[in-house]
Amino acid sequence: MHLKDHLSINIKNKRMRKNLPRWFYFSATLLRKHAIHALSTFALIFVCTLSAKAQSHLINGIVTDEGGRPLQGVSVQMKGSNVGTLTDGSGKFSLSVPRNATLTVSFVGYQTHEVEVDGKNNITVQLKVNAAGLNEVVVVGYGTQKKANLTGAVSQVSSEVLENRSLPNLTQGLEGVIPNLNINMQDGKPIQSPSYNVRGTTSIGQGGNALVLIDGVEGNPSLINPNDVASVTVLKDASSAAIYGARGAFGVVLITTKSAKKGKTAVSYSSSYSLKKPTAIPDQVDNGYQYAKMFSEAYSAGSNYTQLPQNINKTQKFSQAYLDAFKEHDANPSLPKIDTNANGEYVYYANTDWYKLLYKDHNFATDQNISVSGSSDKASFYVTGRFYNQEGIFRYNSDNYRMYNFRAKGSIDVTKWLEINNNTSYSSVMYHNPLNVGEGGAIWRNMSDEAHTSAPLLNPDGTLTYSAAYTVGDFYYGKNGIDTSTNLIRNTTSFVARFLNNKLRINGDFTFQGTNNNRTQKRVPVPYSTKPGIINYVGTNTNDLQEQYIKTSYLAANLYGEYETTFGSDHHFKALLGYNFEQSVFKKIQEQRNGLIFPDAQDISLALGQSVTTNGGWEQWDILGGFFRFNYDFKSRYLLEVNGRYDGSSKFPTNQQFGFFPSVSAGWRLSKENFWHVSPKAISDVKIRASYGSLGNGNINSYSFLEQLGISQSGRVLNGQRPQVTSAPGVIPNGLTWETSTTKDLGADISFLENRLAFTGDLYNRKTTNMFTVGPTLPDVFGAAVPKGNYADLKTTGWEMTLSWQDQFNAGSKPFNYGITVNAAHYEAIITKYNNPNKNLSDYYVGEKLGEIWGYKTEGFWTADDVDQAAAMNKNISNNSSVWLPGDIKYADLNKDGVISHGNQTVNNPGDMVIIGNETPRYTYGFGVNADWNNFFFAAFFQGRGRTDWYPSPEADAFWGQYNRPYNAALKSQLGHIWTEDNPNAYWPRYRGYVALSGDRELSVPQTKYLQNAAYLRLKNIQFGYNLPQKLISKIKMTNASVYISGENLWVTSPMFKITKHNFDPESIDGSDRVLTNGTNGDAQNYPMLKSVTLGLNITF
Amino acid sequence: MIYLKKIIMTTKNIIVYLLIACCLPFAACKKVLDQAPRATATKDAVFSNESGLALYTNSFYTIIPDAATIMRGDAMSDYAARTDVPDFLRPNVYNATQSSGWNWAPLRNINYFLVNNNNPAISDQVRNNYNGIARFFRAYWYFQMVQRFGDVPWYSTPLAVDDSTLLYKPRDPRTLVMDSVLADLNYACANITVTDDQSRSMITKWVAYAMKSRICLFEGTFRKYHTELNLPNATDWLNEAADAAQQVMASGKFSLNQVGGNGKSYRQLFISTAPVTSEDILIDVTDPNQAVFSDANWYWTSATYGNRLSLDRTFVNTYLNTDGTPFTNIAGHDTMTFPVETQNRDLRLQQTIRTPGYTRINGGSVVPAPPAFSYTYTGYMPIKYSLDDQQYDQGTVSTNSVPVIRYAEVLLNYAEAKAELGTITDQDWANTIGALRARGGITSGLTTLPTVVDPYLQANYFPDISDPVILEIRRDRSIELVFEGFRFYDLVRWKRGQLLTQEWNGIYVPAINTLMDLDKNGTPDVSFVESTPSNPVKGVAYVNVAPTIGGKVNPQQLKHGTYGELTWLNNSPRVWDDKMYFYPIPESALLKNPKLGQNPGWQ
Repeated sequence: MHLKDHLSINIKNKRMRKNLPRWFYFSATLLRKHAIHALSTFALIFVCTLSAKAQSHLINGIVTDEGGRPLQGVSVQMKGSNVGTLTDGSGKFSLSVPRNATLTVSFVGYQTHEVEVDGKNNITVQLKVNAAGLNEVVVVGYGTQKKANLTGAVSQVSSEVLENRSLPNLTQGLEGVIPNLNINMQDGKPIQSPSYNVRGTTSIGQGGNALVLIDGVEGNPSLINPNDVASVTVLKDASSAAIYGARGAFGVVLITTKSAKKGKTAVSYSSSYSLKKPTAIPDQVDNGYQYAKMFSEAYSAGSNYTQLPQNINKTQKFSQAYLDAFKEHDANPSLPKIDTNANGEYVYYANTDWYKLLYKDHNFATDQNISVSGSSDKASFYVTGRFYNQEGIFRYNSDNYRMYNFRAKGSIDVTKWLEINNNTSYSSVMYHNPLNVGEGGAIWRNMSDEAHTSAPLLNPDGTLTYSAAYTVGDFYYGKNGIDTSTNLIRNTTSFVARFLNNKLRINGDFTFQGTNNNRTQKRVPVPYSTKPGIINYVGTNTNDLQEQYIKTSYLAANLYGEYETTFGSDHHFKALLGYNFEQSVFKKIQEQRNGLIFPDAQDISLALGQSVTTNGGWEQWDILGGFFRFNYDFKSRYLLEVNGRYDGSSKFPTNQQFGFFPSVSAGWRLSKENFWHVSPKAISDVKIRASYGSLGNGNINSYSFLEQLGISQSGRVLNGQRPQVTSAPGVIPNGLTWETSTTKDLGADISFLENRLAFTGDLYNRKTTNMFTVGPTLPDVFGAAVPKGNYADLKTTGWEMTLSWQDQFNAGSKPFNYGITVNAAHYEAIITKYNNPNKNLSDYYVGEKLGEIWGYKTEGFWTADDVDQAAAMNKNISNNSSVWLPGDIKYADLNKDGVISHGNQTVNNPGDMVIIGNETPRYTYGFGVNADWNNFFFAAFFQGRGRTDWYPSPEADAFWGQYNRPYNAALKSQLGHIWTEDNPNAYWPRYRGYVALSGDRELSVPQTKYLQNAAYLRLKNIQFGYNLPQKLISKIKMTNASVYISGENLWVTSPMFKITKHNFDPESIDGSDRVLTNGTNGDAQNYPMLKSVTLGLNITF
Repeated sequence: MIYLKKIIMTTKNIIVYLLIACCLPFAACKKVLDQAPRATATKDAVFSNESGLALYTNSFYTIIPDAATIMRGDAMSDYAARTDVPDFLRPNVYNATQSSGWNWAPLRNINYFLVNNNNPAISDQVRNNYNGIARFFRAYWYFQMVQRFGDVPWYSTPLAVDDSTLLYKPRDPRTLVMDSVLADLNYACANITVTDDQSRSMITKWVAYAMKSRICLFEGTFRKYHTELNLPNATDWLNEAADAAQQVMASGKFSLNQVGGNGKSYRQLFISTAPVTSEDILIDVTDPNQAVFSDANWYWTSATYGNRLSLDRTFVNTYLNTDGTPFTNIAGHDTMTFPVETQNRDLRLQQTIRTPGYTRINGGSVVPAPPAFSYTYTGYMPIKYSLDDQQYDQGTVSTNSVPVIRYAEVLLNYAEAKAELGTITDQDWANTIGALRARGGITSGLTTLPTVVDPYLQANYFPDISDPVILEIRRDRSIELVFEGFRFYDLVRWKRGQLLTQEWNGIYVPAINTLMDLDKNGTPDVSFVESTPSNPVKGVAYVNVAPTIGGKVNPQQLKHGTYGELTWLNNSPRVWDDKMYFYPIPESALLKNPKLGQNPGWQ
């Protein structure tokens, strides 16, 4: 054992403590045994003790906590040597050391204590709990800051929140863990990686999300290996984000990757296997006859009972005679499910559960991860690799997902003062997204249209049925889909030069990142048969192959220097000055050609049609900026920070390219004042923070100030081809300047009860001014969109807080550590300036609280007694038949004019409409508990939101069922809750098709009765594991081994389940699938959210 | 202290160096912040060469209605029944709030072109050709606006944000706008250089002349019959119409399609993919090779997709016998059954609707195709645009190109203008209506002007017209151009909006509960019943015509309860008011500029 190994133990412990961020700080104590850092540390200590023999003076000791309870596993080392040991179950240790040695006693979660041996034979050490992470180091822009000295609103979590989970990508693991880092999942696709929002509505003009940086340089979080992440920091207020200037206007997310462990080479391997399945699947009526009967009823009600359906939408014929025959076939199972009629065409009497055909019962995912790290005194390296494979949920043509990650980091001390680092990463993601050629939209919308319960997948001869060819049969055929692959190569080379005893540091880095996004889409007609021996095709007009290549080349360079000094012993100064340059060049080429010579063709060379489309694309932007930060504190009592950035962006016209964005923040640690006499047993630490700053929003589209004539391909055939066309450019604004977001923040960090309980809270107010929105309304004869300008203002106010508790007690003479963390956030945004003098409800207006839903008040149903008034009253509402009957919906005539109307759709004349709800997610929260005892560890994390109102869009079939279109699947959740004369107080109205179809239909108009509260509470993750005893694993040279079982999304509840049952997940209620649709094909028509159970193993040698 | 000073000095130096290091790149990189787009073109690039002008004018073509719009053009007409009553005709339903069609973006696009097409590097002739194309589209666009709204404001330049006077001006008088339209048309006719386009998809000189005849005929007859508006110069417009049509006829480029013979040549115009170059002047192209299709079959056969338009019997009765005599002259014509009444008629009837002998193709085999009551409400089920092969029935997969302007219309325009002017001759008759009737297999009355008023036609359609020539020209225009989207505005210009309230009637049913063989293939096709029989005959559509179903009025009934003409939806009233000759200016447009003023009756 060499000295350097020994030293590294200390460094490692310190490092580990620094890296343990606030959110999970206490949990880290408890989860230590399965945290890789901690494990290897213990392992090393363990090894060290074996060699620590040859000393003269034997010292015995006991280590306890402040309450006198013995602590097991505490590291006791002789300072400056490789001699050390661990305490046993009763906190005792013994060690042979020189008489004048100094012992370093350290334990995760406790303050490290040094004690002089001074010839003593027995000593008792009491360790103090580490003070609420105040020594924790938090990553901030271009540097780090001790948490105690933070003056801005910053939240940080460490890798613990991502461990032992089956995560297709990083973003999916961050949901709910940081208050007011808002991640709206939308659906459960493995490629789903929504943008990061910090603190709510940003801008209704240019919009804008948080800037995401990986190791200090802008990057794509969906492509990073989640196991590489050491910490995720969110800079929320203007003060902390100002150093990033124009792109930090709406917060910054800093992702920091792990670095080499000092010490001997360690190899870690982790492996997990997950079983996944949807959290919710629409529970449809699976009896074909019952479906057909309900279809007939809904259809005929839609025509006021005057017409019987002739077809079940497009793919199945229908008549009363068919329904009668179906009844017979349903009652008598010996009758065939498939018959032929007089014309020789198939007639189906099936009971098909199409979702069973669509989804597997469950799917698998595996995650294999390896890391190797080591160091000498001059150099270190860290190499990781990961393979994640998730087979898709679709039974046929499955949507397989694969991700490969590779990272290599190296560091070398070239001279005493110069350190050079290199960080290379490669990521590759592949996904197959199956598609339907039948009509637009994804599979779920197509199933609503044509997956009739009464029709089977296959004909007796093995061909597809017509219904199937439009839906699951397309997947069964298995030739249509979109294959995407994303490859990223990134390299950062950087240096740190340290001068003047490390008081001055110069940093520089240069990053190159190349991203290739490739996409191949194939659409070939799907064969089906409606008559034995005769094959027809669905999708004959979409027989084509499309290939798309996008290359984004990105460069970034930073150069910055930092000087830090203390005058006297009380005045601490820190100054940072730097320069940043970034450039991104986007280039796209896309070609499409029809006429594949055979359906399995893979390459465009085999497309021979005359419909050839080619498109290019180009965008370049450049940013350069100079920035500074100045910190001052007096006795760590009064804290001041000033930030600023002079920023230039190519996205603005020449005279507006540069802007200066300053901010200031200050903190006051009350508990450091001389007059503070509150016992630390009650209140241990109090800090009050405030910040103010103003940032420009650089998130605008390139070239938006230039007159551009776009070129596209005509949809018309002119002179034998579909030619390119161009047309009048949009009218450009006369002047264009930066949107500005000005944030005020007031925060407090308080810890109580000897730091067991810690609170961090912030109130904020963000004004986004000069938002780039529509100009004053002009008469339509203007003939173009009125040029946008810096016309609107918005105010977002909110709060966020984190509360954590950690403690330990002895159970069965073993310490039981546990912690509880709660976070919550809330915001609302109000328009304070907007060009809409009439306050038309079709647009934003001054005073509007974003997300509000206008609608009618549902009074109930018409009854036989009053239905004669319905026609006059509901004349602006349609039930798809001109006749109103008992059981149809009655709305409240709020303005008492005898007619239900939306007035002129303005705030001042909304007719009978009122604000009935708000769709903004409100009161988002997360809470977790964790515990460990005797090598066992446990953690559970819940997250959710307190309120979101949702009015399901017309095509949200999993909600409306056959009220949308009568041929949709019927929903079991509606059975027994539909109005009939015998059930007049049911939830659902008279059973009519087409009343939730569009526009002014009876159920399409937003109204109170069918407004859903999509609040939810989800058990996001739960895990239970065991660290194998050192005794056991050291025999096979292992330093750590743990096994665990972990569950993701295992349970969810929502108030709306009362109505919807588990037809869909409350997080998946947004617009339809975004890969294949523009989101307007019906809410909740989405890839299901997945839940999973994972078995995993982590080992380190 | 000395040490400290040293530090400060060193720091100062370092900061100075840093500052220099930071500022240098600003100076050096200032240029990189000036970025120009590459994937889009600049104005100069587009207007500096002929291909740029062609590139731009391609964007005007969307002003021309596409196949789907043309096929739906008669969804509101007097001669066809449909699923429901259009909102426009329902009592107290249509108003300025739901009025639409006030989109001025196409005009701005044209005016932007006209204002910027002035690069001297391009020859005058080339620029004028493209200006001619632009002005053709401007004329057509304004014509559609005037048809719909009457007076509209005229603009010949793209407006700027601060052009308040122009933006907020009142509407210009119809006469001013239409004079400008005529000036555009004349310019287009004179300056468009292309005279022959075999694809029939581009704007040529002859397209301009043909469109001019259409527009001028509309304006001339509108002014003539809408005497309440006191509009001048009707005769001038009719002369312009006749002249323009005459130019097309004299060009010798076009003729009536005769390929396939009298029983087929008419429908071929609507179901073929390739242009019928003899007769088509301008078409909207479908091309499977380019993956451009229409939804013709879907719209015209699906029980769930379209308006399910069917001709009514009153109109079918106007198709002449093949001998040239009116069908309604036959005694007992009103109780004739479908298989009988459809015999020996103008051959355009069997090319417009399903008649006995019409068959379809299902998976390669020929199958009988009687009128399908899952689609038709009257029994007169259109086939004008639908392809015979059932594989096209679902989805946007039909492969027929659709005429936008065809030579037959020019002939009709010519005949009508001349007749309205009172200058039509026997030769004109023979060249126009006579030629069209001959193609329909009609054997007499082809060469001389008619002299006898058909009382049926007059009584049911045009009671104010006593000129047999005008009556007969209107008969043929109605039949020849049925479902091509002309009908509503023909009724408007003839001031016969009242026809839109005619009852929707269908085939004659001699008796209830009787099996009927409509296509004369020996198997029954339909039975009109009051309730579905317990033992239905396979292959028979049972249509419930009971007065009520489930206590509600049945919209499908027989005129005399147990026998008579089939009727549809006459329980849902339709109304016409003379204010409806113009659509209301949309409320939202009026709110933005009250000076526009509302059309009479819509306030």
